[in-house]
Amino acid sequence: MQIHTSSFSLPTSTPKPKPFRPIIASSFSISDQDLQSRGFTQHRSSTDLDLDALNTIFARVGFPRRDLTRIRRALDHSSSLLWLSHSKPGEPVAFARATGDGVFNAVVWDVVVDPSFQGIGLGRAVMERIVADLRGMGIVNIALYAEPRVIGFYRPLGFAADPDGIKGMVFSKKNIINRAS
Amino acid sequence: MRDEAPTRMIWREDCSFSRKRRIELCPLRAGFWDSIRSGFLKNNNTQVVETPTTLLEDEEPLPQEIVLLERTQSDGIVEQIVFSSAGDVDLYDLQTLCDKVGWPRRPLSKVAASLKNSYLVATLHSITRLPDAEGTERKQLIGMARATSDHAFNATIWDVLVDPSYQGQGLGKALVEQLIRALLQRDIGNITLFADSKVVDFYKNLGFEADPEGIKGMFWFPRF
Repeated sequence: MQIHTSSFSLPTSTPKPKPFRPIIASSFSISDQDLQSRGFTQHRSSTDLDLDALNTIFARVGFPRRDLTRIRRALDHSSSLLWLSHSKPGEPVAFARATGDGVFNAVVWDVVVDPSFQGIGLGRAVMERIVADLRGMGIVNIALYAEPRVIGFYRPLGFAADPDGIKGMVFSKKNIINRAS
Repeated sequence: MRDEAPTRMIWREDCSFSRKRRIELCPLRAGFWDSIRSGFLKNNNTQVVETPTTLLEDEEPLPQEIVLLERTQSDGIVEQIVFSSAGDVDLYDLQTLCDKVGWPRRPLSKVAASLKNSYLVATLHSITRLPDAEGTERKQLIGMARATSDHAFNATIWDVLVDPSYQGQGLGKALVEQLIRALLQRDIGNITLFADSKVVDFYKNLGFEADPEGIKGMFWFPRF
Protein backbone atom coordinates (compact mmCIF):
# COMPACT_ATOMS: atom_id res chain seq x y z
CA MET A 1 0.00 0.00 0.00
CA GLN A 2 1.28 3.45 -0.83
CA ILE A 3 1.84 6.33 1.44
CA HIS A 4 -0.83 8.76 0.36
CA THR A 5 0.87 12.07 0.04
CA SER A 6 -0.25 15.38 -1.28
CA SER A 7 1.48 14.80 -4.58
CA PHE A 8 -0.08 14.57 -7.99
CA SER A 9 2.94 13.01 -9.56
CA LEU A 10 2.95 9.46 -10.76
CA PRO A 11 4.11 6.86 -8.28
CA THR A 12 7.36 5.51 -9.60
CA SER A 13 7.30 1.99 -8.25
CA THR A 14 4.76 -0.75 -7.83
CA PRO A 15 3.27 -0.70 -4.36
CA LYS A 16 4.57 -3.50 -2.18
CA PRO A 17 2.31 -5.05 0.41
CA LYS A 18 3.09 -3.72 3.88
CA PRO A 19 4.47 -6.28 6.33
CA PHE A 20 1.74 -7.48 8.63
CA ARG A 21 2.17 -6.09 12.11
CA PRO A 22 -0.38 -7.57 14.47
CA ILE A 23 -1.83 -5.35 17.14
CA ILE A 24 -1.14 -7.16 20.38
CA ALA A 25 -2.21 -5.42 23.55
CA SER A 26 0.56 -7.10 25.48
CA SER A 27 3.07 -5.50 23.15
CA PHE A 28 2.45 -2.12 24.77
CA SER A 29 5.53 -1.04 26.72
CA ILE A 30 3.33 -0.45 29.76
CA SER A 31 0.29 -2.73 29.84
CA ASP A 32 -3.23 -1.52 30.55
CA GLN A 33 -3.04 -3.35 33.84
CA ASP A 34 0.21 -1.66 34.82
CA LEU A 35 -1.18 1.75 33.98
CA GLN A 36 -4.17 1.07 36.14
CA SER A 37 -2.15 -0.27 39.06
CA ARG A 38 -0.01 2.85 38.94
CA GLY A 39 -3.14 4.93 39.32
CA PHE A 40 -3.68 6.10 35.75
CA THR A 41 -7.08 6.07 34.06
CA GLN A 42 -7.38 5.92 30.28
CA HIS A 43 -9.98 8.05 28.52
CA ARG A 44 -10.87 7.97 24.86
CA SER A 45 -13.49 10.64 24.89
CA SER A 46 -13.22 14.28 25.83
CA THR A 47 -16.50 14.40 27.73
CA ASP A 48 -14.90 14.45 31.17
CA LEU A 49 -11.87 16.37 30.10
CA ASP A 50 -11.26 19.68 31.82
CA LEU A 51 -10.36 21.92 28.89
CA ASP A 52 -8.81 24.56 31.08
CA ALA A 53 -6.53 21.92 32.59
CA LEU A 54 -5.62 20.79 29.06
CA ASN A 55 -4.83 24.35 28.10
CA THR A 56 -2.61 24.62 31.18
CA ILE A 57 -0.68 21.50 30.32
CA PHE A 58 -0.22 22.85 26.78
CA ALA A 59 1.17 26.06 28.23
CA ARG A 60 3.49 24.12 30.57
CA VAL A 61 5.14 22.31 27.67
CA GLY A 62 5.41 25.47 25.59
CA PHE A 63 2.42 25.19 23.28
CA PRO A 64 0.31 28.32 22.85
CA ARG A 65 -2.73 28.71 25.09
CA ARG A 66 -5.82 28.49 22.93
CA ASP A 67 -9.39 29.63 22.98
CA LEU A 68 -11.46 27.01 24.82
CA THR A 69 -14.29 27.04 22.30
CA ARG A 70 -11.84 26.22 19.56
CA ILE A 71 -10.22 23.49 21.63
CA ARG A 72 -13.68 22.00 22.14
CA ARG A 73 -14.29 22.13 18.38
CA ALA A 74 -10.91 20.57 17.65
CA LEU A 75 -11.55 17.71 20.06
CA ASP A 76 -15.03 17.12 18.65
CA HIS A 77 -13.51 16.78 15.20
CA SER A 78 -10.57 14.59 16.06
CA SER A 79 -10.98 11.05 14.84
CA SER A 80 -9.11 9.64 17.79
CA LEU A 81 -8.02 10.93 21.14
CA LEU A 82 -6.56 9.52 24.31
CA TRP A 83 -5.75 11.07 27.65
CA LEU A 84 -4.62 9.79 30.99
CA SER A 85 -5.71 11.14 34.32
CA HIS A 86 -4.15 10.40 37.71
CA SER A 87 -5.37 11.55 41.09
CA LYS A 88 -7.44 14.50 39.87
CA PRO A 89 -10.34 13.34 37.70
CA GLY A 90 -10.78 15.41 34.58
CA GLU A 91 -7.22 16.66 34.70
CA PRO A 92 -5.04 15.21 31.97
CA VAL A 93 -1.46 14.19 32.74
CA ALA A 94 -0.88 12.90 29.22
CA PHE A 95 -2.74 13.58 25.98
CA ALA A 96 -2.70 12.92 22.27
CA ARG A 97 -5.20 13.22 19.45
CA ALA A 98 -5.36 12.46 15.75
CA THR A 99 -7.26 13.89 12.80
CA GLY A 100 -7.85 12.28 9.44
CA ASP A 101 -10.32 10.82 7.02
CA GLY A 102 -10.99 7.71 9.05
CA VAL A 103 -9.92 5.24 6.35
CA PHE A 104 -6.62 6.16 4.71
CA ASN A 105 -4.72 8.90 6.52
CA ALA A 106 -4.26 10.22 10.02
CA VAL A 107 -2.09 12.90 11.57
CA VAL A 108 -1.28 12.87 15.28
CA TRP A 109 -1.27 16.26 17.05
CA ASP A 110 -0.76 17.76 20.49
CA VAL A 111 1.14 14.92 22.13
CA VAL A 112 1.82 16.20 25.65
CA VAL A 113 2.84 14.88 29.06
CA ASP A 114 2.62 17.07 32.12
CA PRO A 115 6.19 17.91 33.18
CA SER A 116 5.67 16.40 36.63
CA PHE A 117 4.79 13.08 34.98
CA GLN A 118 7.46 13.01 32.33
CA GLY A 119 10.16 10.39 32.16
CA ILE A 120 8.07 7.42 33.25
CA GLY A 121 6.88 6.26 29.85
CA LEU A 122 3.48 7.95 29.64
CA GLY A 123 4.19 9.62 26.32
CA ARG A 124 5.07 6.27 24.88
CA ALA A 125 2.02 4.66 26.46
CA VAL A 126 -0.28 7.24 24.91
CA MET A 127 1.35 7.10 21.47
CA GLU A 128 1.31 3.29 21.29
CA ARG A 129 -2.38 3.27 22.07
CA ILE A 130 -3.32 6.02 19.64
CA VAL A 131 -1.46 4.22 16.88
CA ALA A 132 -3.21 0.97 17.83
CA ASP A 133 -6.58 2.75 17.76
CA LEU A 134 -5.88 4.16 14.30
CA ARG A 135 -4.71 0.81 13.02
CA GLY A 136 -7.85 -0.71 14.43
CA MET A 137 -9.75 1.63 12.11
CA GLY A 138 -7.73 0.23 9.23
CA ILE A 139 -5.52 3.28 8.86
CA VAL A 140 -1.89 2.57 8.20
CA ASN A 141 -0.80 5.96 6.89
CA ILE A 142 -0.14 7.66 10.21
CA ALA A 143 1.89 10.85 10.17
CA LEU A 144 2.94 13.56 12.54
CA TYR A 145 5.15 16.64 12.78
CA ALA A 146 8.03 16.36 15.22
CA GLU A 147 10.19 19.12 16.63
CA PRO A 148 13.88 18.29 16.34
CA ARG A 149 14.24 17.41 20.03
CA VAL A 150 11.49 14.77 19.92
CA ILE A 151 12.38 13.03 16.67
CA GLY A 152 14.29 10.53 18.82
CA PHE A 153 11.17 9.93 20.92
CA TYR A 154 9.09 8.94 17.88
CA ARG A 155 11.68 6.74 16.19
CA PRO A 156 11.49 3.77 18.59
CA LEU A 157 7.70 4.02 18.26
CA GLY A 158 8.08 3.14 14.60
CA PHE A 159 8.08 6.58 13.02
CA ALA A 160 10.54 7.51 10.29
CA ALA A 161 11.37 11.03 9.17
CA ASP A 162 11.23 11.97 5.48
CA PRO A 163 10.71 8.44 4.14
CA ASP A 164 11.85 8.36 0.55
CA GLY A 165 12.35 12.10 0.65
CA ILE A 166 8.74 12.94 1.46
CA LYS A 167 8.76 16.31 3.22
CA GLY A 168 6.36 17.66 5.76
CA MET A 169 5.48 21.19 4.72
CA VAL A 170 3.62 24.04 6.37
CA PHE A 171 1.95 27.01 4.72
CA SER A 172 3.06 30.46 5.72
CA LYS A 173 1.58 33.67 4.35
CA LYS A 174 4.92 35.35 4.68
CA ASN A 175 6.32 32.89 2.16
CA ILE A 176 4.15 34.25 -0.62
CA ILE A 177 6.52 36.03 -2.96
CA ASN A 178 5.39 39.12 -4.74
CA ARG A 179 6.19 38.48 -8.37
CA ALA A 180 6.22 40.95 -11.18
CA SER A 181 3.55 40.03 -13.75
CA MET B 1 -5.52 19.26 -25.46
CA ARG B 2 -4.24 21.79 -27.95
CA ASP B 3 -6.45 24.85 -28.05
CA GLU B 4 -5.82 28.28 -29.31
CA ALA B 5 -4.71 30.79 -26.74
CA PRO B 6 -7.43 31.54 -24.20
CA THR B 7 -9.48 34.47 -25.32
CA ARG B 8 -10.31 35.64 -21.83
CA MET B 9 -8.72 34.73 -18.56
CA ILE B 10 -10.77 35.73 -15.63
CA TRP B 11 -10.65 34.76 -12.01
CA ARG B 12 -13.61 35.91 -10.04
CA GLU B 13 -16.26 34.68 -7.75
CA ASP B 14 -19.77 33.87 -8.58
CA CYS B 15 -21.28 36.75 -6.64
CA SER B 16 -24.72 35.34 -6.25
CA PHE B 17 -24.30 32.03 -4.56
CA SER B 18 -26.23 30.01 -7.07
CA ARG B 19 -25.74 26.80 -8.91
CA LYS B 20 -25.97 28.55 -12.25
CA ARG B 21 -22.73 29.74 -13.53
CA ARG B 22 -23.93 32.96 -15.08
CA ILE B 23 -21.10 35.33 -15.59
CA GLU B 24 -21.75 38.25 -13.33
CA LEU B 25 -19.67 41.32 -13.17
CA CYS B 26 -18.47 41.80 -9.65
CA PRO B 27 -16.59 44.83 -8.48
CA LEU B 28 -13.03 43.81 -9.00
CA ARG B 29 -10.10 45.04 -7.09
CA ALA B 30 -6.61 43.78 -6.42
CA GLY B 31 -6.15 42.25 -3.05
CA PHE B 32 -3.96 39.90 -1.09
CA TRP B 33 -4.06 37.22 -3.76
CA ASP B 34 -2.92 39.67 -6.36
CA SER B 35 0.59 38.70 -5.43
CA ILE B 36 -0.04 35.06 -6.27
CA ARG B 37 -0.04 34.48 -9.95
CA SER B 38 -0.90 31.17 -11.46
CA GLY B 39 1.20 30.25 -14.41
CA PHE B 40 -1.47 31.02 -16.96
CA LEU B 41 -2.47 34.44 -15.65
CA LYS B 42 0.07 36.38 -17.61
CA ASN B 43 -1.75 39.13 -19.42
CA ASN B 44 -2.95 42.41 -17.96
CA ASN B 45 -6.62 41.60 -18.42
CA THR B 46 -6.56 39.46 -15.34
CA GLN B 47 -8.17 40.82 -12.28
CA VAL B 48 -8.55 39.20 -8.95
CA VAL B 49 -11.43 39.42 -6.57
CA GLU B 50 -10.61 39.92 -2.95
CA THR B 51 -12.42 37.49 -0.73
CA PRO B 52 -14.42 38.97 2.08
CA THR B 53 -12.77 37.55 5.16
CA THR B 54 -15.00 38.73 7.94
CA LEU B 55 -17.35 36.00 9.06
CA LEU B 56 -19.71 35.97 11.97
CA GLU B 57 -18.70 33.79 14.88
CA ASP B 58 -19.36 30.12 14.06
CA GLU B 59 -20.61 31.05 10.62
CA GLU B 60 -19.43 28.65 7.98
CA PRO B 61 -18.61 30.27 4.66
CA LEU B 62 -20.67 29.04 1.76
CA PRO B 63 -19.01 26.71 -0.70
CA GLN B 64 -17.95 28.63 -3.75
CA GLU B 65 -17.56 28.16 -7.41
CA ILE B 66 -14.97 30.13 -9.24
CA VAL B 67 -14.48 30.29 -12.96
CA LEU B 68 -10.73 30.04 -13.35
CA LEU B 69 -10.64 30.43 -17.07
CA GLU B 70 -12.83 30.49 -20.09
CA ARG B 71 -11.81 29.87 -23.63
CA THR B 72 -13.59 29.56 -26.93
CA GLN B 73 -12.29 26.97 -29.31
CA SER B 74 -12.22 27.49 -33.04
CA ASP B 75 -15.30 25.30 -33.42
CA GLY B 76 -17.28 27.65 -31.23
CA ILE B 77 -17.29 25.41 -28.20
CA VAL B 78 -16.84 27.37 -25.00
CA GLU B 79 -14.87 25.70 -22.24
CA GLN B 80 -14.77 26.89 -18.66
CA ILE B 81 -12.52 25.54 -15.96
CA VAL B 82 -14.38 25.84 -12.70
CA PHE B 83 -13.09 25.45 -9.17
CA SER B 84 -15.53 24.39 -6.49
CA SER B 85 -15.20 23.77 -2.78
CA ALA B 86 -18.62 22.14 -2.58
CA GLY B 87 -17.09 18.71 -2.90
CA ASP B 88 -19.48 17.34 -5.49
CA VAL B 89 -17.47 14.39 -6.64
CA ASP B 90 -18.82 11.53 -8.65
CA LEU B 91 -16.94 8.50 -7.36
CA TYR B 92 -16.61 6.93 -10.78
CA ASP B 93 -15.34 10.17 -12.29
CA LEU B 94 -12.78 10.29 -9.51
CA GLN B 95 -11.76 6.72 -10.15
CA THR B 96 -11.28 7.53 -13.83
CA LEU B 97 -9.16 10.53 -12.88
CA CYS B 98 -7.03 8.46 -10.50
CA ASP B 99 -6.55 5.89 -13.25
CA LYS B 100 -5.36 8.66 -15.58
CA VAL B 101 -2.68 9.82 -13.17
CA GLY B 102 -1.66 6.23 -12.50
CA TRP B 103 -2.72 5.90 -8.89
CA PRO B 104 -3.58 2.41 -7.64
CA ARG B 105 -7.27 1.77 -7.27
CA ARG B 106 -8.82 1.85 -3.83
CA PRO B 107 -12.18 0.39 -2.76
CA LEU B 108 -14.92 2.84 -3.72
CA SER B 109 -16.63 2.53 -0.36
CA LYS B 110 -13.43 3.64 1.34
CA VAL B 111 -12.94 6.48 -1.11
CA ALA B 112 -16.50 7.59 -0.40
CA ALA B 113 -15.83 7.52 3.33
CA SER B 114 -12.56 9.42 2.96
CA LEU B 115 -14.34 12.20 1.07
CA LYS B 116 -17.19 12.31 3.54
CA ASN B 117 -14.73 12.58 6.42
CA SER B 118 -12.70 15.31 4.74
CA TYR B 119 -13.20 18.87 5.90
CA LEU B 120 -12.97 20.31 2.41
CA VAL B 121 -13.08 18.62 -0.94
CA ALA B 122 -12.13 20.85 -3.83
CA THR B 123 -12.64 20.06 -7.48
CA LEU B 124 -11.74 21.34 -10.90
CA HIS B 125 -14.24 20.68 -13.62
CA SER B 126 -14.06 21.39 -17.31
CA ILE B 127 -17.43 22.51 -18.55
CA THR B 128 -17.90 22.68 -22.24
CA ARG B 129 -20.92 24.35 -23.71
CA LEU B 130 -21.95 23.65 -27.25
CA PRO B 131 -23.04 26.62 -29.35
CA ASP B 132 -26.37 24.92 -30.08
CA ALA B 133 -29.80 26.26 -29.19
CA GLU B 134 -30.03 24.49 -25.84
CA GLY B 135 -26.46 25.29 -24.84
CA THR B 136 -25.80 21.64 -23.99
CA GLU B 137 -23.25 21.31 -21.24
CA ARG B 138 -20.74 18.59 -20.62
CA LYS B 139 -19.02 18.50 -17.26
CA GLN B 140 -15.78 16.61 -16.67
CA LEU B 141 -13.81 16.22 -13.46
CA ILE B 142 -10.23 17.24 -14.20
CA GLY B 143 -8.79 17.87 -10.78
CA MET B 144 -9.31 17.28 -7.10
CA ALA B 145 -7.71 18.07 -3.78
CA ARG B 146 -8.97 17.51 -0.29
CA ALA B 147 -8.10 18.55 3.23
CA THR B 148 -8.74 16.88 6.55
CA SER B 149 -8.95 19.09 9.61
CA ASP B 150 -9.98 19.40 13.22
CA HIS B 151 -12.14 22.36 12.14
CA ALA B 152 -10.22 24.67 14.43
CA PHE B 153 -6.44 24.67 14.24
CA ASN B 154 -4.88 22.30 11.74
CA ALA B 155 -5.60 21.09 8.22
CA THR B 156 -3.68 18.63 6.08
CA ILE B 157 -3.99 18.57 2.32
CA TRP B 158 -4.05 15.17 0.61
CA ASP B 159 -4.48 13.70 -2.83
CA VAL B 160 -3.85 16.67 -5.10
CA LEU B 161 -4.42 15.51 -8.63
CA VAL B 162 -4.88 17.05 -12.06
CA ASP B 163 -5.78 15.25 -15.28
CA PRO B 164 -2.53 14.84 -17.23
CA SER B 165 -4.07 16.42 -20.34
CA TYR B 166 -4.76 19.54 -18.30
CA GLN B 167 -1.40 19.74 -16.58
CA GLY B 168 1.14 22.39 -17.37
CA GLN B 169 -1.43 25.18 -17.46
CA GLY B 170 -1.24 26.36 -13.88
CA LEU B 171 -4.43 24.60 -12.87
CA GLY B 172 -2.80 22.57 -10.11
CA LYS B 173 -1.51 25.79 -8.60
CA ALA B 174 -4.92 27.42 -8.86
CA LEU B 175 -6.54 24.38 -7.28
CA VAL B 176 -4.23 24.45 -4.27
CA GLU B 177 -4.35 28.25 -3.99
CA GLN B 178 -8.13 28.22 -3.85
CA LEU B 179 -8.13 25.39 -1.36
CA ILE B 180 -5.74 27.33 0.87
CA ARG B 181 -7.90 30.41 0.51
CA ALA B 182 -10.99 28.42 1.53
CA LEU B 183 -9.16 27.10 4.58
CA LEU B 184 -7.91 30.54 5.59
CA GLN B 185 -11.42 31.89 5.20
CA ARG B 186 -12.52 29.31 7.73
CA ASP B 187 -9.77 30.55 10.06
CA ILE B 188 -7.69 27.38 9.94
CA GLY B 189 -4.32 28.75 10.89
CA ASN B 190 -2.08 25.73 10.33
CA ILE B 191 -2.20 24.32 6.80
CA THR B 192 0.08 21.36 6.23
CA LEU B 193 0.83 18.66 3.72
CA PHE B 194 3.32 15.91 2.90
CA ALA B 195 5.01 16.30 -0.44
CA ASP B 196 6.86 13.80 -2.59
CA SER B 197 10.40 15.03 -3.20
CA LYS B 198 9.50 15.80 -6.83
CA VAL B 199 6.81 18.30 -5.92
CA VAL B 200 8.44 20.05 -2.96
CA ASP B 201 9.34 23.02 -5.19
CA PHE B 202 5.81 23.22 -6.54
CA TYR B 203 4.51 23.69 -3.01
CA LYS B 204 7.33 26.04 -2.07
CA ASN B 205 6.14 28.33 -4.83
CA LEU B 206 2.72 28.28 -3.26
CA GLY B 207 4.01 29.41 0.11
CA PHE B 208 4.77 26.13 1.84
CA GLU B 209 7.96 25.63 3.78
CA ALA B 210 9.63 22.26 4.30
CA ASP B 211 10.84 21.43 7.80
CA PRO B 212 9.99 24.82 9.30
CA GLU B 213 12.30 25.37 12.29
CA GLY B 214 13.55 21.84 11.80
CA ILE B 215 10.14 20.28 12.43
CA LYS B 216 10.04 17.04 10.47
CA GLY B 217 7.23 15.06 8.95
CA MET B 218 7.35 11.48 10.20
CA PHE B 219 5.42 8.41 9.11
CA TRP B 220 4.65 5.21 10.98
CA PHE B 221 6.48 2.25 9.41
CA PRO B 222 6.43 3.56 5.84
CA ARG B 223 6.88 0.90 3.20
CA PHE B 224 10.11 2.49 1.99
